[in-house]
Amino acid sequence: MAAKVVTVQRPARPRAMDTLGPLAILRGLFVTSSHFFRNLFGFIRGKPTIFTVQYPEELQQLAPAFRGMPVLVQMANGKERCVACGLCEWACPVDCITIYPAETEDEIERYPAVFDIDMSRCMFCGLCEEACPEEAIVMSQRVAIATTDWRGSVWHKSDLLMPATELQTRLTHIRRGYERTGVAATPVVRGKA
Amino acid sequence: MAKITVDGTTIEVPDNSMLLPVLLDRGLQVPHYCYHPKLSIDGSCRMCLVKVEGLPKLTISCNTPVRDGMVVDTQGPEVTKARQGVLELLLVNHPLDCPICDQAGECYLQDYAFEYGKRAARTQEPRRKLLKRVDVGPRVVLDQERCILCRRCVRFCKEITETRELGVFNLGDQSVVDIFPGEPLDNDYSINTADICPVGALLSKDFHHKMRVWFLDETESVCPGCSNGCNVKVGAARGNVYRLLPRRNDEVNDTWMCDEGRLGYRFVNEQRIRTPRVRRGTTIESTSWDEALQQTTTQLSELSRREGAGALAAVVSPHLTNEELFSFGQLIANGLRIQHRDVAVISGKSDDFLIKADKAANARGARDLGLAAAAGEADLAAIRAAIEAGTIRGLFVTGTDLWEVWGEEASKILGRLEFLVVVATNEHPLLDLAHVVLPGMTFAEKNGTFTNHAGRVQRIHRVLDPGTQPSDGEIFLQIGRRLGMELTPGLFDPRQIFGAITRQVPRYAALGWDDLGRQGQATADA
Repeated sequence: MAAKVVTVQRPARPRAMDTLGPLAILRGLFVTSSHFFRNLFGFIRGKPTIFTVQYPEELQQLAPAFRGMPVLVQMANGKERCVACGLCEWACPVDCITIYPAETEDEIERYPAVFDIDMSRCMFCGLCEEACPEEAIVMSQRVAIATTDWRGSVWHKSDLLMPATELQTRLTHIRRGYERTGVAATPVVRGKA
Repeated sequence: MAKITVDGTTIEVPDNSMLLPVLLDRGLQVPHYCYHPKLSIDGSCRMCLVKVEGLPKLTISCNTPVRDGMVVDTQGPEVTKARQGVLELLLVNHPLDCPICDQAGECYLQDYAFEYGKRAARTQEPRRKLLKRVDVGPRVVLDQERCILCRRCVRFCKEITETRELGVFNLGDQSVVDIFPGEPLDNDYSINTADICPVGALLSKDFHHKMRVWFLDETESVCPGCSNGCNVKVGAARGNVYRLLPRRNDEVNDTWMCDEGRLGYRFVNEQRIRTPRVRRGTTIESTSWDEALQQTTTQLSELSRREGAGALAAVVSPHLTNEELFSFGQLIANGLRIQHRDVAVISGKSDDFLIKADKAANARGARDLGLAAAAGEADLAAIRAAIEAGTIRGLFVTGTDLWEVWGEEASKILGRLEFLVVVATNEHPLLDLAHVVLPGMTFAEKNGTFTNHAGRVQRIHRVLDPGTQPSDGEIFLQIGRRLGMELTPGLFDPRQIFGAITRQVPRYAALGWDDLGRQGQATADA
């Protein structure tokens, strides 16, 4: 196997400074406190130089490929894109999705009357997103699923709806995936998002 | 017999038959849409093309008679290419509706598109716009865009029901299936058109957008609606029955069933009774199984001892399986010593095709097993008169059909009773008069056999899991045990009891539980 081998030169014996306990402690304290003060002054000046995110007030910018919890794409008219075809329910390896379809008088005649995801079971695998023929369920960047009541771990349709405008990066990412793999031509999406 | 060679194998087939049914009988996969074994040949879909040596071009196998020495190729490259072409044309105007189409999962167009279809359409033109959601009848909805014009539904209405509601209108690529103005598809068998539709053009309104077919567990059973005993598949999911579909049995129902029977499954899901009840003063309250069974046993034996055996009567439900009926018969004859018993069967509409007047699956079984009053014995009318006269004081009722049979006066008559036990599956006004209510099971929750009007014994299979709830047969067994009588050792086992029936009822002597199979067996004098 052709791998690059780097030989590191290390002293045969530890340096005197490292062997003296109090000195080593002071050296360590210096490193920690220098970080602390740089961070503190930077924070006061409003220009932090060290990478610390003030969670939960501040959120990290995540990559489009990041898989958070699945959400339902909401169209501009406030309705879901989902037509309750049941493919995500079928694809889900942990059976955390439950859908009860129903009929409407709209142009798209079918919609999910009930769309529940048990987030305590969901493993964020993204197979539901992959199975969806309507780009209606996508993996968002939401990750906060903690709850003080176990009943709260079941998310209903109203909790899961998220406007398509907020999911644009993920939707673009999925489209790019389709185009790259040549799975299909641009999927048909009914209704304007 | 003619000898033909199919894909290199020589087989013997009956003369004068068409090629496609012969091939399908051999288990060969020949794609087809318009061919249906119980309808005339149409030859409109062109999907069943095969190559026959000696013929100048490919031929549709559904309309080609077999000939001695025929050499047939069903899967060569030429045949496959032709089928691909046919399918592409069928798909030219087919909407990409699969996510909202109820047929998805059991759609012939989907299946063959996987086998013969192209990945993308080659057409540039927009797809034909036609009417979706056409309200063709009270129980069927039509989507003209999805239709591939196989005309199975048209032929069904013409040949089977002879009502001719559906037709193909307009010519050429303007052709659509529709009804005549003001004449809806409203015959007693209309939902069969949705069954035979190979695509999602005709759909049952009852099942429309209710459940994905791939989530359904389909179990073979018998329709409980009337005594015809149509063979069905019961589709259940998440603890509910969602639909009944007819299953082929040439001796009983061919491949059809009536709408009334098909839509008559709802009682399995709705308003069920799950806990026993006993009367305390004027109210009737939930109780334990133990208490309800004990009450039934002691009260009935008490009455019998005090007033004599003639003071008791039993009304038998024709919805019970043969095995339960047999056990009940033994219980009332040997355990409770009830002399008067009869079957309460609701009588209704009938026709000369599938619908029979007895609105219960096992009315014939109850008569065969001696649970109906014989000539000279007290029948239902006599029991009624005896209750009114006050000579019958206790009544053991299975099922609630009695209420409909006795009509408006039922509540007045039953109100005179000192003790009334009811085994019932659903909430019913009859239960308000009862002293003990024991929850029963529907056909979907038990194993057993039904005997249809013509004496054919057919198996029913458990579809839903009733949990720890005892079956009707188990209830009879338990009451028997409390009276010190062992109907059968262990749990209620339909197979064992069916064995006892074949030994004791001469008419059933030639039958065997394992020989019933999927299509049932006829009794001796059927």
